[in-house]
Amino acid sequence: MEKELVSYVAKSLVDNPDGVEVNVIEGEKSTIIELRVAEGDVGKVIGKQGRIAKALRTILSAASTKSGKRVVLEILD
Amino acid sequence: MVYDFEGKTEKDAIEQAVEQLGIEQNKFDVEVLDQQTGFLGMNRKVRVRVHLRGEGAQAPSTARTEDSGSGFARTTTQGSYSNTPENDFEHAVVDYLTTVTDMMGAPCEVQVMYRESSKIGLRLDGSDNGIIIGRKGQTLDALQTLVNIVGGRVGGEGIKIVVDSENYRSRREESLVRMAQQVADEVKESRSSKLLEPMNPFERRLVHTALNDINDIGTKSEGDGQYKQVRIFYRG
Repeated sequence: MEKELVSYVAKSLVDNPDGVEVNVIEGEKSTIIELRVAEGDVGKVIGKQGRIAKALRTILSAASTKSGKRVVLEILD
Repeated sequence: MVYDFEGKTEKDAIEQAVEQLGIEQNKFDVEVLDQQTGFLGMNRKVRVRVHLRGEGAQAPSTARTEDSGSGFARTTTQGSYSNTPENDFEHAVVDYLTTVTDMMGAPCEVQVMYRESSKIGLRLDGSDNGIIIGRKGQTLDALQTLVNIVGGRVGGEGIKIVVDSENYRSRREESLVRMAQQVADEVKESRSSKLLEPMNPFERRLVHTALNDINDIGTKSEGDGQYKQVRIFYRG
């Protein structure tokens, strides 16, 4: 669920959608979502002063309000 | 069609009506609802009710430059105005928000709320509007950030996309301005400055302009980053 969301939004932001890779690590109380994008696209998902990353995280936590589980987004490079 | 406005004087309230509705003063009738004269002329407040003339009263013009309007959202379903997407760009952004909100588990119907030369307003409506708006409109802001980037990529370069739900933005603007004026009154009385909660640039600008022409009151932003705080101070 959250995986599709991150993947869809990330693909909408980058130049190279094929380079988007999302990995989910389910914990008991929280879920960690790892996002990997193509080399030149890291800035596109982070944004100036992390604005885009912050927007992504906000949307993720809104998406997880119903399940009550905490979701952490990690952007890997 | 009836709208209420508030101002320091009757004239002030009417000017607000003209500005917010985007129509001329001779096109509506004004009824004074409530007049408050505060201590020594301070805290003066006048409430007026504006009646638009003519059958069905023509919708307020959308050719405004500010988006602080409360008149807007209520008029979108009138006349021949189309709130469904009309071109590729509009289809793309509407589809995008539909998909994203669906994936968020809070599916929304997305409608075009208004169109301006370099701005478009979208309204999200679903069964979980609270989730879509978020604390202090955070989620709405996040969605707006994302859809603006995506919009820029699908031919909407230079077009600003405003995302709203349940008129949250116009309600928030109204309450912000009201709050700012209240704090300004307190500052006038106590002559000591007050610091407001952190706000984004747009909201700060609203506060600055709202208090711009109040005598003896000054405003400045303090802090770093996106969310600065406005300080309201006395300058007698």
